[in-house]
Amino acid sequence: MSDQACALGVDAGVQEDLACTLLSKHFGEFAAVDGVSFSIPRGAFFSILGPSGCGKTTLLRMLAGFQQPDSGDILIKGKSVLNTPPNKRPVNMVFQHLALFPTMSVAENIAYGLKRKGIPKREHATLIDEVLAKVHLPGFGDKRIDQLSGGQKQRVAIARCLVLNPAVLLLDEPLGALDLKLREQMKIELKRLQREFNTTFVYITHDQSEALVMSDQVAVMNKGRFEQVGTPQELYYQPKTAFVAGFVGDSNQYAGKVQSQSGDLVTLVTEQGVRLLSHANQPLVAGSPITLFVRPEVMQISTSRPATEQDNCLAVTVSRVLFDGAQSRVQVETAEGAELTVALPQTADFQALEAGRSVHVSWQASQCLCFPAPADTKPPGAP
Amino acid sequence: MSDASGNFNRTQYRLGFWLLLAPIVLWLSLLIILPHIDMVLVSLRERIASRQYGFSFGNYTAFFTEPLYWNTFVRTAVMSIVATVLTLIIAFPVSFYIAKVLTGRPRIALFILCLLPFWVSELVRTYGWMILLRETGLISGALQWFGLADQPVEMLYNDVAIMVGLIYTSMLFMVVPLVTTLDSLDNSLIEAGYDLGGSSWNVMRSIVIPHAMPGIMSGCIVVFMLTLGNYLTPTLLGGKSSLWFTEQIYTQFITRFNWEQGAAFGILLLILSSLIVWLGLKITRQSFTRVMS
Repeated sequence: MSDQACALGVDAGVQEDLACTLLSKHFGEFAAVDGVSFSIPRGAFFSILGPSGCGKTTLLRMLAGFQQPDSGDILIKGKSVLNTPPNKRPVNMVFQHLALFPTMSVAENIAYGLKRKGIPKREHATLIDEVLAKVHLPGFGDKRIDQLSGGQKQRVAIARCLVLNPAVLLLDEPLGALDLKLREQMKIELKRLQREFNTTFVYITHDQSEALVMSDQVAVMNKGRFEQVGTPQELYYQPKTAFVAGFVGDSNQYAGKVQSQSGDLVTLVTEQGVRLLSHANQPLVAGSPITLFVRPEVMQISTSRPATEQDNCLAVTVSRVLFDGAQSRVQVETAEGAELTVALPQTADFQALEAGRSVHVSWQASQCLCFPAPADTKPPGAP
Repeated sequence: MSDASGNFNRTQYRLGFWLLLAPIVLWLSLLIILPHIDMVLVSLRERIASRQYGFSFGNYTAFFTEPLYWNTFVRTAVMSIVATVLTLIIAFPVSFYIAKVLTGRPRIALFILCLLPFWVSELVRTYGWMILLRETGLISGALQWFGLADQPVEMLYNDVAIMVGLIYTSMLFMVVPLVTTLDSLDNSLIEAGYDLGGSSWNVMRSIVIPHAMPGIMSGCIVVFMLTLGNYLTPTLLGGKSSLWFTEQIYTQFITRFNWEQGAAFGILLLILSSLIVWLGLKITRQSFTRVMS
């Protein structure tokens, strides 16, 4: 899968801040990172998205220098840093729990790195004031760390790294400890900071929304490998593997069998016996098991059979309305017993929708995707 | 009715509170506070005739006018401080290794190894050192066997022997608080220290030691108190030349039956240790409550 990742760096004019080639790390028999290659153009916000245990933390720690890869190479600004200890690498890391030094004030935390870099002491005050202003914390220098709120600590942790002008800033799920509202704010804030400092960010997270909102490029990682690297839009609309389709965004997933294929169009029958049409980006053998992915928001719900011809149209019964404001959904069931989750449009027509009503659900074949089912396991993230 | 039972409950609760508090109150008042008050009173009296006592500062002036007394006093204080510092210097890397480098089984094993010598009494441990250091002892024998010495070497009865014994005795009391505080240091802080460009020395000085300061101080206080009040080790390893202040107290009380003078020495030792601990806390800017919690 990593070959797609390689393709990113082929664009010759782009100068790369960070590149990895065939990076691997094993713990005993277990391959935490397995032959990962990628390169990140200068000034990009690059996210590595994956479930816990997929090896993303190991990958990040190798980039920071806290772990040595078994094989492969890490290039920062074109130079291999394999033999460079963490304190000499031109990368800085924002730790998961931030790791601000509790025995120092905010200014001392920021000054720590400046001193180590050998910047003359008389310049410290100006640099600290500047960076604190940039993270919107002017005048916070004398505060103790335990006087700061969660969001302020985030900003200090980022300021402490960015004041050193690293080639790459590594972020290890720093938003995990924040509450929802603050996390939403910090997502926008991080993106703003990245653009303002024009530093390459490598951000690892298991939260797809963080990755999609902030990133220029996202790599989806699973079992130590990159499944797909692309823009958030590509990952969402053109997933290349079943894992990406299941992990990025919500999907209805159905196991089924191929009946026939003509070009990109596949006719398939789900386990429950529902006949559907789907788009497929690879040739499939008739009769082979597949998994179908349909996003809740591509399905149209209507009280009567839609007037225009749709590739897939099912008569269903509402079994549950899941009200969640703008993200409201309806769970519906076909006569055959197949369950679907459909996004509920925020229009007056559906406000009175309740369990037991009969409705129609329809979508175009081009809006859903199917992939060959993995031989033994259920697709990840299946409901 | 409910009011009455409420009252009863409250009475019962208060009774329980006092019963639980009783042992510590009794212990403190009967064994610590009362004897010390009595010591102060005894130290401030002077025997005029048989069973006749008068108020006097004589015991304290005797201490300051007799050079042997305050020389021993100063020597004990200096030796105790040196022993405490040396214990800290030896115990810190050991504790760091146990708390931060090792994990799992080896970590527990090494910790138990530190604890093991304390399963035998101090007397036996000190005799162990005597077996090693004396003229006919193991080290002396080994030196002769290797031809490094042509006659038995006496390594006991000097300041180095006392120091070795004191450090050995105090080791555990330094290692335990240090391991506890170092253990509570988040590893990511150390990593962040390196990540921001710090060398091992920078990380140690700016991150690890400030974090471990309460543990360092509590270990130092305990070790200093134990060393200053130690009687057995200086006497056995130092012999006649040990000149330890507790020996002076012992002599006054037991050999010379001069309880008044002994009590005055006891009070002076108490003042000295409190003063040095207070100074230590002031210099390192630590608060006593934080160090002891």
